[in-house]
Amino acid sequence: MLRSDLIRGHLDSIILRLIFEQDRYGYEISKEISLRTDNRFQIKEATLYAVFQRLEKKELIESYMGSVSQGGKRKYYRITTLGKAYLKEMVEEWKETKEVIDLFMEGLK
Amino acid sequence: MKKLKNHVDDLFKDVPESEQKKAVKQEVLENLEEKVLDLMEQGKEEEDAINKTIVDFGDIEDLKKELGVKQPAKKNMSKLNLGFSIWGSILIIALFVFINFAYSPQTIWFVYPTFAVLWWPLTMYFNWQRKK
Repeated sequence: MLRSDLIRGHLDSIILRLIFEQDRYGYEISKEISLRTDNRFQIKEATLYAVFQRLEKKELIESYMGSVSQGGKRKYYRITTLGKAYLKEMVEEWKETKEVIDLFMEGLK
Repeated sequence: MKKLKNHVDDLFKDVPESEQKKAVKQEVLENLEEKVLDLMEQGKEEEDAINKTIVDFGDIEDLKKELGVKQPAKKNMSKLNLGFSIWGSILIIALFVFINFAYSPQTIWFVYPTFAVLWWPLTMYFNWQRKK
């Protein structure tokens, strides 16, 4: 399990990305994160809902009640146009950051 | 499942009542219940599944912050203290001056207690500067 404080600053991007792919609800997102990272990273539910609140306040995502046909009346999240733009920017920033950090982390024996 | 609901109630007990709180609490509870059911499907006992869900939930402090539970801010009293010390010392010094000139105008002694009293606002001034 990875140290979560290193990932912390990127949780917004991770969750935005998952909602960008398709509308999702809370548990689905935490399951998807565990699945994709092969359980190397698991998000705490408390953190997840804090991120939802923050993203919604910043109008990067919006929520709606799912219909029964989607499998129960759950609260789903969809990404807004602003959210898409924000995610794109975050991706660019991460690429830059990764390059810079790699300059110092790579190539050590 | 009652245990899970109690736990969620407990987690949210410091959060002031609001529509937002009710909505988030409802959402959290529903998702946690789903997680419990999911874990049970994977072969866990209900008791185990609930316990794991509760442990996995983590620290609620972040969520509280988003929901607007204010961390009690320590009020900066140093300015008030400074003001009080200035007015207080002016009064005390005025008293000394009055006694001095009313009862023993031939010797000027009020300067000595004045210096002693001035330590008070000086300390408060220092305190105020340090906290600024």
